[in-house]
Amino acid sequence: MAEDVVVAGVGMHPFGRYPDRSLKDLARVAGLRALLDAGIGPRRVRMVYSSNAMAGMLQGQEMVRGQTVLREIGIEGVPVVNVENACAGGSTAFAQAVMAIRSGAADVVLALGFEKMFVADRSRTLDALESAADLDVVAGLGIQFTAVYGLRLRLRLADGSITRRDLAEVSVKSHANGARNPYAQHQVTVTAEQVLESRCIADPLTLLMCSSICDGAAAVVLARSGVLSQPGRPTVRVLASASGSGFTLDPAGGPSGATLCAERAYEQAGVGPGDVNVAEVHDAMAPAELLYSEALGFCPPGDGARFFRSGATALDGRLPINPSGGLASRGHPVGATGLAQLAELTWQLRGEAGERQVRRPRIALAQNSGGWLEGESAAVNVHLLERMEPWI
Amino acid sequence: MDLAAALDCAPTGERPRFDLAAGALVGGRCADCGGTAWPARAVCHRCGGADVRLGAFSRTGTLVSCTRVMVSRPGLEAPYVLGQVRVDDGPVVFGQILGLDDTEMVPCPVTVRVDAARYWFTPDPGPDRPQDDAGLHAPTDERQN
Repeated sequence: MAEDVVVAGVGMHPFGRYPDRSLKDLARVAGLRALLDAGIGPRRVRMVYSSNAMAGMLQGQEMVRGQTVLREIGIEGVPVVNVENACAGGSTAFAQAVMAIRSGAADVVLALGFEKMFVADRSRTLDALESAADLDVVAGLGIQFTAVYGLRLRLRLADGSITRRDLAEVSVKSHANGARNPYAQHQVTVTAEQVLESRCIADPLTLLMCSSICDGAAAVVLARSGVLSQPGRPTVRVLASASGSGFTLDPAGGPSGATLCAERAYEQAGVGPGDVNVAEVHDAMAPAELLYSEALGFCPPGDGARFFRSGATALDGRLPINPSGGLASRGHPVGATGLAQLAELTWQLRGEAGERQVRRPRIALAQNSGGWLEGESAAVNVHLLERMEPWI
Repeated sequence: MDLAAALDCAPTGERPRFDLAAGALVGGRCADCGGTAWPARAVCHRCGGADVRLGAFSRTGTLVSCTRVMVSRPGLEAPYVLGQVRVDDGPVVFGQILGLDDTEMVPCPVTVRVDAARYWFTPDPGPDRPQDDAGLHAPTDERQN
């Protein structure tokens, strides 16, 4: 059995628009909150995996991004590994931290993600987002991520398994959850009519279904089980950590990268999708939740909309999905997103999620995908977390 | 063929992507397993072999899904239509669709179009569709490379 790894502390800088805060400011707040939550100081951190996707293009800080923000919070001298995996960078940093602890290389590791997407010229942000693809192949085609999700959803509208009403209703749900999350970018409820009547972005997606440009940071302290004592608080341990990369689509079809990655995570953990009590999935556009419910095995293929309509994925449902509001409502500052998912699930497992707390979860799943290789995500990570102590 | 053969593969910039005479995409087809990719790659993604042969794919395919994009990008005025196309006897390719008036007709057969710098797809004329390309505007290709 691999070394047990626990989530010792989590923290976030609220997601949103922060023109007067630098990358260092965002990372400072998230990083310090995670350290404080873990009950440690900066000198206890033995290694850092730092995730950022766009500072090279947007802030001109192409290299050593992690080192530059970490010195602000007194973390120097230790190994810092800069991770870039598009929208999956945050969970990639987490996965690497898990490996570092399991290997025995370090006993306390910080995974830190930060992103500042609001800049004076919005087209630069769109250019940076488009670079999460093989530009040698697709530059100039106008492939935006909204279009990527639009293509996936149109397939399902065409076969009738998902309706436009479903797309709107799932966005209503994610907004309702985000409205309960003080860290969320969009803390506002919407109606299905408002969603459907908002501006079309890439058919069938409308503005209120899509994640938007966002600033923010999130951090997680991971530790070898037993090295940081936290009396009186439930222990959250890493049950599985699985990673994958994209692949060339087989014209005949086949399972998605998310499915293959989730299967490995379930096998590693010795649990199945039916054991998951709460999940954060990569809904860069809210309706993606319908597709990922199927891909992750929460419901049979083709049944994502039916599963959603049953109420199963609501906060009080059998398997609440994206209690944080998901990417579309909590916000999606690319390099921080994966760690925000894991922070949310940690709060949920501990029972610290406030107004959006789901009922007594024991096992939580996070799925974070990034980039695009002509049909498949370029990177994917699936993590399973477990609350060790029974709920009282 | 030995994997070492891929060491001597033509640089990516020298591999043809279009056959203007045939009006088709040129990509790689693995002589061992038949796996196809566009543009051609040095090593086959399916079997890991290096006997990848350049060749033109079919000019016909199926538009599997499409989306009308409403946000302009440099050199691309919205709205424009993007589609996922399964090229007959070839790979899955994403590209612009011109002349598709009714996106509800998808899936539908399409024809591959190429010029010196770019490719796109047009829906095949069906019984209810006009035969000519009148009214189509060629997209600007400022960002093509």
